[in-house]
Formats: sequence, C-alpha cells, structure tokens
Amino acid sequence: MKTFLFILIVIASGAAAGLIHGGLNLIFVEPSLDQAIGIENQHMFASGEEKDTPEFWIKYDGYRTWQKSGQVLAGGILGVSIGALFGIVFALSRNSLPGKTDIKKALVLAGIMWLTIYFIPFLKYPANPPTVGDPETIVLRGILYLVFIAISGFGAFGFYKLSQKLKTKKLVAIVGYAAFIGIAFVVMPENPDKITAPMDLVNNFRIMSAFTVSLYWLSLGVILGSLWHHYKPHKEIIPFN
Amino acid sequence: MSQSRQINVSKNGVPVTAIVALAIVFVAGLFVVGFDQGHIFSLVYGEEAFQDLYIHELTHDMRHAAGFPCH
Ligand SMILES: [Zn+2]
Repeated sequence: MKTFLFILIVIASGAAAGLIHGGLNLIFVEPSLDQAIGIENQHMFASGEEKDTPEFWIKYDGYRTWQKSGQVLAGGILGVSIGALFGIVFALSRNSLPGKTDIKKALVLAGIMWLTIYFIPFLKYPANPPTVGDPETIVLRGILYLVFIAISGFGAFGFYKLSQKLKTKKLVAIVGYAAFIGIAFVVMPENPDKITAPMDLVNNFRIMSAFTVSLYWLSLGVILGSLWHHYKPHKEIIPFN
Repeated sequence: MSQSRQINVSKNGVPVTAIVALAIVFVAGLFVVGFDQGHIFSLVYGEEAFQDLYIHELTHDMRHAAGFPCH
C-alpha cells in the first residue's frame, strides 16, 4: 500500500465532507441555534444578568458571526477526525466489503458506520439545541454518549468477527447485533436533563442535525470511494528488478 | 527486508504507521470538537484557558449540530 497516498486521500475526503457538513449546518441548523440562544438571551435579560441594549446586540451579533465561522472550521476538523476512523476501517475491511467498485464498498461501510456509531446512538441520546443541557451533568452526558457509541461500534464489529469465525451467514451477525444493541438501549441510563425549551424548536433542531450529519456520511463515502477508485492507494509500488 | 516488512504491515497490507497516525488524528479531532472545555489551550496559557473556553466557543455550534452533549 502507498502509505502517504492513503493518508492523503483519507484526510482530503474527511476535510471535504466536513466542510460540506459545516456549510450545510449554516443553512439548516443555525436558524435553530439562533432561536435557542435567543431564548437564553431573554432569560438573561429577565434575570438582569445582561441588559437589552443596542450595545449588547452589537456585541452579540459579532460574537455569533465569529461562532458561525467556527461552525465551518469545526466541520473541517470533525470531518477529518471521523474521516480518519472511516479510512482506517475502510482500508482494513475493503477486501471483505460487498460491492464491485470502491465507491460501492465505501458507501456500504459509510452506511454501516452511520447506523452503528451515529444514528442508533442518536436515537438513544438525541442532539439538543442550546438551553437544554445542564452544565452540572455535562461530564456524565459525555461519558454516556461515548460509552454507548463504543458499545454499538465494538458490538457491531464483534458480531461481524464472530460470524466470520463460526462461518455463519451475515444475517446471524445482524440479528445478534440487533439483540445486543436493543438490550444496551434499554439498560443504559437516560439523558438526565429535563427539556424546558419548546418541543417544536427541539424537534426541528434534531431533524436538521440528523439530516446534515447523514449527508456528511454520504459525502464521506462518495468522496473517499471516488478518490480511492481513482488513485488506488492499495496497489503496491512495483519495483524495477 | 522481508522480515521488517512483515512487522510494519498488518495482515491486510495496511501500514501500521498509517493506522497509528490516523488514529491520533481521530482522537485529537474528536476531542477538540466534541469535548474540549479549555484543556488544549491550558497547556500553553494555563488556568486562564478554562475561563476563556476559546476552542469550546469556536467549535460550539458544531458541537451541538453534530449531537455532542453541551449546554
Ligand atoms: Zn452549548
């Protein structure tokens, strides 16, 4: 395998998909974030922590513009990060992934990873807009979320390996994983925070959030698959001799 | 030569160095966007970083949008 080319392709596809994700969030998710932070501002005015003055709004607008640029930057960083994991798993599993082309293989893997380390954890611990989370429980919530993602991801991997070892059909692995994650879903504690924000806002935010994250995974699969197909980093460099 | 190649390449032919490098990228990026509460800049700026939360604030919108726990 051409190591440098492999790393380059993985980083480039992660960055590209991540920038797409950040850009989409500006359109689809930011309106909900602005609304939620607007509610927080009203709370601050009510409690006297801030005053509803033109100066406040100038400062606030500047701050939010800066934060929205961070949305895109963070999209790139997160995109590269998740893309790196995707690249590792793709390189290791490419030979056993179904599909004739690298694009199909990458899309299959993106679908599996989207489901097991994003969507199922999202159903258990759905995304929340600002104002919902209690700062006192942030560490607990972070641990619960990560642990559930790890349980789901390693669970899927474990059942796949087990079915390979026992030479059973893939369906057996899928049923095994489904039962396993079903139990984990019920056993893991709930998000401890009570939602006080309007449910409309929260639901709209969740739908948009899941929509753009899903498009990130789709982009990642398409871009990495295409680059892989084009540059073929798995091919050995043939020495002259 | 063939022996050292075996040590550095996993059985699927993927170089271990590449896997390790990408794993570091994965963990670092995930931490910066999903979980940093001033830790990274505190390495340079000390305690003050936990007050300023610069990285947290900058990556804040994506943190919510991507489903990480926040405020
Ligand atoms: Zn927040």
